[in-house]
Amino acid sequence: MVGMKNTNDMDNSYLNNDMSATGEIGSEITIENLSIQFPDKDGGAPVVALQNVNLEIKPGEFITLVGPSGCGKTTLLRTIADLQQPTTGSVNIRGKSPREIRKEKKFGIVFQNPVLYDWRTVRRNVCMPMELMGIPKKERTARVTKMLELVGLYDFGTKYPHELSGGMQQRVGIARALAIRPEILLMDEPFSALDEFTKEKLHVDLLRIWSKTKKTIIFVTHNISEAVLLSDRVVVLSPHPGRVSAIVDIDLERPRGLEIKDTDKFNALVSKVRNSFEGV
Amino acid sequence: MNQIKKIVQSKQMVTFAWIIGLVAVWEIIASYVEKTKRTPDNVLPHLYQIVESVFSPDLVNGSQTAIQIVLSNAGITLFRAAIGFVIGTAIGFLLALLMNMFTAAEKIAFPYLMIIQMIPILGMAPIVLAITKDIDTSRIVIAAILTFYPVATNTLAGFKSVEKEKHELMYSLAARKRDIYKKLLIPSCMPYFFTGLKISAPMAITASILVDTLQGGGGLGCMLSQSLKHAMTIYVFWQIVFVGAIIGILSYALMTLLERLVSPNKKAKR
Repeated sequence: MVGMKNTNDMDNSYLNNDMSATGEIGSEITIENLSIQFPDKDGGAPVVALQNVNLEIKPGEFITLVGPSGCGKTTLLRTIADLQQPTTGSVNIRGKSPREIRKEKKFGIVFQNPVLYDWRTVRRNVCMPMELMGIPKKERTARVTKMLELVGLYDFGTKYPHELSGGMQQRVGIARALAIRPEILLMDEPFSALDEFTKEKLHVDLLRIWSKTKKTIIFVTHNISEAVLLSDRVVVLSPHPGRVSAIVDIDLERPRGLEIKDTDKFNALVSKVRNSFEGV
Repeated sequence: MNQIKKIVQSKQMVTFAWIIGLVAVWEIIASYVEKTKRTPDNVLPHLYQIVESVFSPDLVNGSQTAIQIVLSNAGITLFRAAIGFVIGTAIGFLLALLMNMFTAAEKIAFPYLMIIQMIPILGMAPIVLAITKDIDTSRIVIAAILTFYPVATNTLAGFKSVEKEKHELMYSLAARKRDIYKKLLIPSCMPYFFTGLKISAPMAITASILVDTLQGGGGLGCMLSQSLKHAMTIYVFWQIVFVGAIIGILSYALMTLLERLVSPNKKAKR
């Protein structure tokens, strides 16, 4: 695999494969021949959620997994997060397994629902993962303040989750994920339950946060325009069986704002992603 | 108009309407009883007669007025019920923890817990009394037996109700089991736990009164049966009925208050 540079062929290959797959600096996450099958409940043929997925993700990259339901995009994210085990193939994160990275607490996860603890205030929700990590109280307080400022919720620290709007709750979830200073931020359709206006505001916020923190972000969505707006690369997944059908480079300049959505280039990229789906 | 509608539909108004309704029904029946029965006091006295008896300075048993007897005995009963309730709560909570931690424990324990619950308290009380040979201990044991089951089942339901995503969040943070319980499961199950307490607190008191009736030695139940056997005025009985009801309601209210102290976010919700 060493030296296979930018082979942009469509048959699920090693894109941007500047480095070897052994996890040297230059490739953050290497996914090789990953297949996942779920046993059928009624004893029939197993459901193939993902088939032969190969993907390389660079450090600091914003990568989006996009596709219709049933394409395995969430399964792929969960496999990287060690919430799902591969049937065959492997996920390698800097030479380590997802399990090792999880145990080192290097993942920040933002779920589709905010998953906040309703008996804790906003501040204490953001604080919770740091308590698990044994971070001293002073440091925790400082980080919570910083994170809430980053997501624009500083004034809401003493509120309880049910007093916040859906968009605010999701921002608390993002602050909580970032507070542990993860190396990889995994986001599973975090904005899909929000209305269009809130979603756009959070897009702007997320772009700003990403440019400040420079985390590797893996973002799952079924919204093509969202994928193009946010990412460096869009991984297009097609269903039955779930597979990577294309990887589209998004070479829009940064920093990006919502106005970029009105450009021809943006729309061309959206069309390109849309036309990449197979069998939908 | 809307204002009036709001007041009529408010919680206090509903409670008020209920009280008025109950008093009316009570009084109608009491008037009927007064005309038809030879000893109406024993069947259903008027409410004012009961209130009068509370403030009556007459000594009932040589040294105490009726209300003094009722209140001092209520103290005895309540104290035992409270100890039993606390012990039962602790056992119930620990059982729920065990059953949640070990599936085997749940499979082994759960059906038999239900059987204990199905034995009528009237049947169980003499057995417990025979074993412990002490009325005070029996009160505690019976109150504990009645308490632990609602607490255990509700708490277990609370543990099981935690969403998968919350577990996954803890998993993704490689949380230790102890932390998962401390930071997620136990706080999550609190509303369920308190539902269990609200069910069992009045039950513990009822049980304690019931055990009192088995033997002398004080307690509301003991006075209740003496009063019914006409060892003292029947109004002691009627006062106990009301004091018992009030204690039961207060025990429920106390649990609600405790819940609000423990989970401050509840305040904002209501």
